[in-house]
Amino acid sequence: MKHYTRYPGNFLIYLFLPFLFTLLIFGMGRFVGGGDAALNFAARTGTTNIIVYEILGSAVWMTSWVVVEDVGVALRDEQMKGTLEQNFLAPVNRFTLLVGMSLTDIVITTGIFFIVVGATLAITLPSSLLSLIPAFLILLVGLIPLFGIGFLFAGFVIRFKEPYIFIQTVNLLFATLTGTYYPVTFLPYWAQFVSGVLPQTYVIDEMRQIILANQTLVNLYGSVFVLLALALAYPILGYGIFKRIEKRAGVTGEFSKY
Amino acid sequence: MGSSSELRREQVSLVNSQNTNSTAKLLAEFRAAFLKDLRSYIRQPAWVLGELVSTPLWFFFFALGVTLFAPTTPAAPGESGISFFLLGFVFIVLFGTSIWGIGQTVRNEQTAGTLEQFFLAPASRITLIVGRWARIFLTDSVIIGYTTLLLYLFGGGLVTLLDPGLFLMGLGLYELGLIGFGLFVAGLTMQIKSYNTVSNLIFFGYMILTGALFPITVIPTPFRYVCMAIPFTYFIDLMRHAALATPTILPETLEYVVAIVLAISMLAVGMVMFNKVERDARSGGSIATS
Repeated sequence: MKHYTRYPGNFLIYLFLPFLFTLLIFGMGRFVGGGDAALNFAARTGTTNIIVYEILGSAVWMTSWVVVEDVGVALRDEQMKGTLEQNFLAPVNRFTLLVGMSLTDIVITTGIFFIVVGATLAITLPSSLLSLIPAFLILLVGLIPLFGIGFLFAGFVIRFKEPYIFIQTVNLLFATLTGTYYPVTFLPYWAQFVSGVLPQTYVIDEMRQIILANQTLVNLYGSVFVLLALALAYPILGYGIFKRIEKRAGVTGEFSKY
Repeated sequence: MGSSSELRREQVSLVNSQNTNSTAKLLAEFRAAFLKDLRSYIRQPAWVLGELVSTPLWFFFFALGVTLFAPTTPAAPGESGISFFLLGFVFIVLFGTSIWGIGQTVRNEQTAGTLEQFFLAPASRITLIVGRWARIFLTDSVIIGYTTLLLYLFGGGLVTLLDPGLFLMGLGLYELGLIGFGLFVAGLTMQIKSYNTVSNLIFFGYMILTGALFPITVIPTPFRYVCMAIPFTYFIDLMRHAALATPTILPETLEYVVAIVLAISMLAVGMVMFNKVERDARSGGSIATS
């Protein structure tokens, strides 16, 4: 949290990017579709509210960006400062350490969600403001598997020591595969299969259903159940792989900077 | 005392000399800088792989988003605006070179603690930076080439390039402008150090305001004047005109003149600014990591 308060620019970028990407997509879309752009969009997505549709995708993308980047970069920073070993030698469970590093992200992502999505709804769709609450609950559940992905990523950072390019590539893959700006049905079948195991796919889709189609969490029980299953599977998988990499790093001496 | 301080001055001038009197020496420096950067790039396979995957991914990700707005009746390959976006992608990739390639060189060397060694080399700083530009231009060209090929393989059709000569001229001017802007940004980096937020804002501002991804005619009038005050708008417009025969913002001949003048001016301003910042940093002792 101290890092974010000391460098507010980092947080502002996360608030600014969803609007920027939405604006870019909207501008390009208007150019491509001309006068019928909104109609074409509605025919494919079932909603005429382009801004809210795109902002929801953007906001979820940013939250996953924050989680993946924070966990990965935090470990790399410790590695560069030479303090990673001290952290790992402290009599604290690794799981607690990793969860502690991730807890800040709940505050940051909550801020992103309420500022970006809240402001957009307040301006463009004030009648749906109350649906922010169930949408936020979905986001919170969706954060759990994301932390699991973060643990996995933390292992990769220890092993490969290149967090930045990994972060960019992984986040772009997430954005492309989870339907950030389009329904996942636009993707080839093999890519839809990969989308199906990514938690953000469900978070984005459920949020759109809740806010734009007035669905309730009860109506969406099927995908909520899948999300809960992912919330259980990813942390176990992520932590398991992290521990394996950590064990190997202890043997091969890969905790070092370079 | 006089002769001692004179000797010291000469020593300092020798150490920091920018001996680029002969073209051969300049080319040798340029070649060495290019090879140095290529070697250090190849030494980081994760970066190479990541760049090769992530750069085209940006293009496909945006292109898929935009297809939601396209007419529901499918267009013939090449008529779907794909050429327009691919060109936009090319402009953006090359612009990234300026910001994160040339501009960030100084910061990278600074954080690695090698900036002083870099500056102590008996070569022109600008040649060293331009050598890095050449390496990035090479890798960008590879990425652009295979993205175009992938697009073709996925059924996006061949990219239109109606007047290759004019396009290459536009590209040359754009690159001159980019090197100038990159040098300007490198100077800025040396001064402000915490630079990521600024570079991101510049980059995203560029994407919206220069017509790289959509024509500036889509932008409402008062903001359009801002677009027209940005030099890159004209390079982009000229290249797009050469590739797709789109109408130019200014009368065609005037646009050539404006683009040439802007390219030369940007290069000159970038070099002057970079040299000045470097001189100030050396005398003020601010060539430090943080």
